[in-house]
Amino acid sequence: MIQAQSFLKVADNTGARKIMCIRVLGGRKKYANVGDVFIGVVKDAAPNMPVKKSDVVRAVVVRTRKGLQRENGITLRFEENAAVIVNAEDQPRGTRLFGPIARELRDRNFTKIISLAPEVL
Amino acid sequence: MVIKTETCRFSGLRIYPGRAVKFVRTDTQIFTFLKSKCRTLFNQRKKPAKLAWTSLYRKQHKKDLTTEVTKRKKRGGKATLSRAIAGASLEVIQKKRAEKPEVRQAARDSALREVKERMKKDKASKKAAAKASYKGKR
Repeated sequence: MIQAQSFLKVADNTGARKIMCIRVLGGRKKYANVGDVFIGVVKDAAPNMPVKKSDVVRAVVVRTRKGLQRENGITLRFEENAAVIVNAEDQPRGTRLFGPIARELRDRNFTKIISLAPEVL
Repeated sequence: MVIKTETCRFSGLRIYPGRAVKFVRTDTQIFTFLKSKCRTLFNQRKKPAKLAWTSLYRKQHKKDLTTEVTKRKKRGGKATLSRAIAGASLEVIQKKRAEKPEVRQAARDSALREVKERMKKDKASKKAAAKASYKGKR
């Protein structure tokens, strides 16, 4: 359940460490879950990297503590809320991703994220 | 048809399809829980070995009939069959196996001695032949 003001960890190597959600995209969507795109502000960033602090970025949610319900009744939950920064074409801006990523992202056509992920669950 | 089941990471109970909460840690370790009771106790860092209803506790305190153990024993002990192979028939193999190590050692020693003696003889004869040819040339 990611909404405006939610903080997320950044699971890629763009340089951002933490981003704050300021708007969930997709009509009148209130909360974002895995696979949803949102607009965020970089709240914490590593020095000398492409993404700076207070940059406004698009990002995809890749892990949530709330988790997601699979068709077969299994709930998949994660330890943290995490996102991957993407460009206007929904391609990841980083070249590496960290941590496990849910298979549901493939259904939303984030194939590049799936291919970069170290582990797809 | 056998229904594919998983085991609960906390209680050790079987999970039938359509249940399970999978908790994925960031180091990609997956914990599968049968019900919220197991999940909350895990989150409270309780040890399943200290709760009497978990299968781990029951196993540790030998509460159940140990049917699994006997099964494993049966499967583990595989009888080795001896049979005739290539040139050696079964009787020859059995005889060899029945032999005592001392007998075998004695046989080996005698064979060695024989070989050594033969080599000595060969050497001596060769020497003599060489001498003879040398003398002849002169």
